[in-house]
Amino acid sequence: MYRARKTGLIKKIMRIKGMGAALTAFAGLVVIYVAFGIMNPMVFSGQNILNLLRSMSKYLLIGIGQSYVMITGNIDLSIGSVAGMSAMMTATLMTLGVNPLLAMLITMAVCLTIGFINGVLVGRFKLPPFIATLGTMFIARGAAYIVNGNRNTDNIGVVLGKDAADSFQNFFYYGKILGLFNTFWIAFVIFLVFYFFLSKTRTGRHIYAIGSNVEAAKLSGVDVVKTTVKTYLISEFCGAVVGFILCAQAGMGNMEAGNVYEMYGVAAGVIGGVSPLGGSGILLGTFAGAAVWQTLENGLNMIGAQVGIQRIVIGVMVVAAVLVSVIRNRKD
Amino acid sequence: MMGEVIVSMEHISKSFPGVRALDDVSFELRSGEVMALLGENGAGKSTLMKILSGVYEKDGGTIRIMGREYENLNPKQALDAGVAIIHQELNMCKDLNVSENMFLGREHINGIVLDNAEMENTARKYLDELGVDIDPLETVGSLPVSKQQMIEIAKALSVNAKILIMDEPTSALSSREIKELFSIIQRLKSQGCGIVYISHRLEELAHITDRVTIMRDGRYITSGDFDSFTMDEIIANMVGREIKEKFPRIKCTRGKKVFEVRGLNAGRSVRDVSFSLHEGEIVGFAGLMGAGRTETTRAIFGVDKKESGTIILDDKEVRIENPMDAIRAGIVLAPEDRKKDGLCTKLTIRENVALPNLDMICGRDGVINRKKETQMCEEAIRNLSIKTPGIDIDAGSLSGGNQQKVVVGKWLARKSRVVIFDEPTRGIDVGAKVEIYHIMNRLKEQGIAVMFISSEMPEVMGIADRIIVMCDGRITGELDAETATQNEILKYATQFESRL
Amino acid sequence: MKKRVLALILGSCMVLSALTGCAGAAAPAPAPAPAEEKAEEAPGETPAPSAAAEEEAAADIKIALITMDSIDQHWVTLNEGAQAEAQAEGVTVDFMSPDTKDDSKQIECVNNAVAGGYNAIMVAANGPDAISGALNEAASAGIKIVYVDSPANVEAEATFATNNEAAGKTAGEEMLKALQEKGIDSGDIGIVNVNASTQSCVDRENGFRSAFDGTGFNLLETQYCDGDAAKAQSIAENYITQGVVGIFGANEGSTTGTGNAIKASGTEIVGVGFDKSDSIKNLIIDGNLLCTMAQNPDVMGSEGVKACVKAVNGESLGGEVTDTGVTVLTKDNIQ
Repeated sequence: MYRARKTGLIKKIMRIKGMGAALTAFAGLVVIYVAFGIMNPMVFSGQNILNLLRSMSKYLLIGIGQSYVMITGNIDLSIGSVAGMSAMMTATLMTLGVNPLLAMLITMAVCLTIGFINGVLVGRFKLPPFIATLGTMFIARGAAYIVNGNRNTDNIGVVLGKDAADSFQNFFYYGKILGLFNTFWIAFVIFLVFYFFLSKTRTGRHIYAIGSNVEAAKLSGVDVVKTTVKTYLISEFCGAVVGFILCAQAGMGNMEAGNVYEMYGVAAGVIGGVSPLGGSGILLGTFAGAAVWQTLENGLNMIGAQVGIQRIVIGVMVVAAVLVSVIRNRKD
Repeated sequence: MMGEVIVSMEHISKSFPGVRALDDVSFELRSGEVMALLGENGAGKSTLMKILSGVYEKDGGTIRIMGREYENLNPKQALDAGVAIIHQELNMCKDLNVSENMFLGREHINGIVLDNAEMENTARKYLDELGVDIDPLETVGSLPVSKQQMIEIAKALSVNAKILIMDEPTSALSSREIKELFSIIQRLKSQGCGIVYISHRLEELAHITDRVTIMRDGRYITSGDFDSFTMDEIIANMVGREIKEKFPRIKCTRGKKVFEVRGLNAGRSVRDVSFSLHEGEIVGFAGLMGAGRTETTRAIFGVDKKESGTIILDDKEVRIENPMDAIRAGIVLAPEDRKKDGLCTKLTIRENVALPNLDMICGRDGVINRKKETQMCEEAIRNLSIKTPGIDIDAGSLSGGNQQKVVVGKWLARKSRVVIFDEPTRGIDVGAKVEIYHIMNRLKEQGIAVMFISSEMPEVMGIADRIIVMCDGRITGELDAETATQNEILKYATQFESRL
Repeated sequence: MKKRVLALILGSCMVLSALTGCAGAAAPAPAPAPAEEKAEEAPGETPAPSAAAEEEAAADIKIALITMDSIDQHWVTLNEGAQAEAQAEGVTVDFMSPDTKDDSKQIECVNNAVAGGYNAIMVAANGPDAISGALNEAASAGIKIVYVDSPANVEAEATFATNNEAAGKTAGEEMLKALQEKGIDSGDIGIVNVNASTQSCVDRENGFRSAFDGTGFNLLETQYCDGDAAKAQSIAENYITQGVVGIFGANEGSTTGTGNAIKASGTEIVGVGFDKSDSIKNLIIDGNLLCTMAQNPDVMGSEGVKACVKAVNGESLGGEVTDTGVTVLTKDNIQ
């Protein structure tokens, strides 16, 4: 009786679309992790695992935002620059004495506005998402430069004081809860919330529908414009949070923060089975993809590997993952 | 049987840039009836129904649904008002499963969470009512077109629509599925639904239609009880002229063997197929859906990989590994799905006609000679009477019949030996159909071997000289068209292998 | 599903083979020699240097070298100096720099060094503040910190860097001398710098500007090239169009771009730069650049390692700052 129920559960899990791809990504993750660990056993150390979980959180969040947009068949090139803008804006406000919470709220509002603009440009005005978000990418990056007068910011504690700065930094980066870094918990909670939203709500279903066949979705009464806007709002929300994390990590704002992150988000999604053509993939896969990326970056660093190797390897994996998903679609 | 008026459209007008699609059209539908909406392609039937279902906005006139007047109807409002439309081009999300597609846009929720179990059960209920064996959890993209259509119909049923618009619903269904569809339509009628039935299969109508409305060139022509019209009268109203002979078969003497296929094998759908084509004859391929006729043509044309088989053209064996080989040898194919496989809909007519013929109009340096290109294109338009304001129009904006002519046109620009047509007149109006028949006859007269696949038996019997029947991947019969009967053809078409 | 598993395993195998290649090729290879057989080796059998280090105190010191990036010639030379010293002393130096100049990545590298059980970190900080948090954590873990090239705001054992301000002043003085020899007393002078946040470059600029205090020359607003030689060249070309009499490049990329621009213009503008490379050498030999302030990154590297070893062995260095100096490289003394 128990065995029958157990296989029922496994079958149910495997029936979830996109689960196969996600699990394969996890399998790859394990292989890579073990390989690095064999080359340098310190990779297996507890401290390293903690570091891994913390540093993958950035890519996980970017991946979540980018996945939402990719599943509708669009792309968000601006998310990395939004993260940079968020880091700079939050830091600048704090160096001017603004309370951290207020600084974050203001920054979040600005980032969400960019998300709204992206959504309207792509959803309502039907601009090709590549072009639209390329534009907002430059705008956000420019804003990141300008907000502190083309300089990196001072330490966030100059006016607010060391205690305020420390608590901000601890909350987003240096602190731990239950033995794991806060950063991971923040990303994990956001992951759970958005996983639920995508798989269990109407809007989530509509997101898949739009990516699969936007005409059919429209004719079935799906509000394509509203849903597209929502995906970009979510994406820029994630970007904003990553900005907070980067700001807390360095204790200041760096104008180049978040550079190229949007591509890492795409890679994380694609490795995890999110098709850039839209309509398929689950966030669990993105989780695995972000972990793969970080494990590679961390592992290569730990063994002193050459520059560029990581890029080549990730590139190969991304191409392999997309090839596999395209071949699979063709079979159907 | 027929109740009160549930849809009343009066003096509807609609224009698109450069085209007056509807001009003072009136339409009425009563509850409990099937109203056939007939007209050539371009007559405005689809436009009228798209206005009723909220896809387009009317320019003028009034719409009343269930007595309520609607000014600016959108798809969701139309659904709520009880209007459901099943498009000819199926609109399914290929990555979602059956249940998800059926409830798209009106998902059942439990609080804020989707109630998947309930939706799946409801989907199963409607599918069972249709008598279709589909698992609601099956991904739609993996199902064949006919099953997808069934799902569309089930979806409309699940909306409890009072007004059901069906646009060519039976074009991809087998006769068994059609019978089941009709029995469901009868059931809907008895429940008080009104059904607008758009179809070019005039022979089917007699089984199901109560009244008929005929449109031509964006205008309302006439309407009335179906029984009060003869088929000739209906066709005359649709085309504005009497078509004496629906099938203009031309008598030719059969010449020498031009093309032969021996022992062709390509998967389950093409098993040990052998036949030959001669000069001066049209060979029609009849059979049920899934008989393997399309797959045979694709294997010949080099689109699908074949496991074995020889192709002989003019007594010489030809090696065909891909379409380029076939085209060079002089074998051309007008595919079944003309929008997807026959044309590049985003390219212009000029570009489409030129595409497989670039070797003929390019100089040695590879540059396209625009004059030659224009000549080739205009000749195609002339020869085939393609209705278009110019050759630099996107092919995708033409009507079905004209699109088909472009597909054929690009092949006729070359001197081909064998022309294969796969469902050449599907979804095309009567007038254009005749033109296609004339084209096939002309090819026959020129000594080109013509082979065509059709699921409309009268068409096969009317145009072909010889009929080859396939069933389940094998050739089961060969008949002379003039002496063949529908019974015989059907017998061969259902000659499945015994599984006992 | 099966295809996917295969693809990812193949991808991973490519990862492994690529890594064997680079783990062997990269000079600081901490991976034990039989890297090819790692797939069959059980983790326990691999000689683990860190475990051994604990037991054999001074013999197996592990130092992590974290510079601003791993591609600039300056850092590569620094690493070479460090490696040479490491060999001589019998310790290990791992080059763990990020691939690009990025605060976040540099912080991760510091974290990795802590997790990797290193005894000491030699670091060239991107900026004085960003990695302070991470360095503090390293210090509390008992890791010794030595600064090379650019210090941060955390107490360290020692610093080995160029006194950038002094070096910048020297560069200014050289340009002034050359202009005066030509009989030029006034005019515009352009400065091509990296960015406004890298302290070392800011110091150089300040030193350079101070050399012109009280003279008749007008120093224009600085333009930034992010260290990219191509960008620097565009900026220098603009300066030349504006009619400057001299241009200062504050780092390797800026100098290369400046020299190329002067070369392309065919004018007699006085160009003075910072850092050395083969391109810069050629530009000086051809007379397009007057001279360059050549830093001594290799000295930073070797002295840094020496200090790390001393600190790990218990010596107190007191945070001493050593100026590793610059050599003025001109046509006459260049090799």
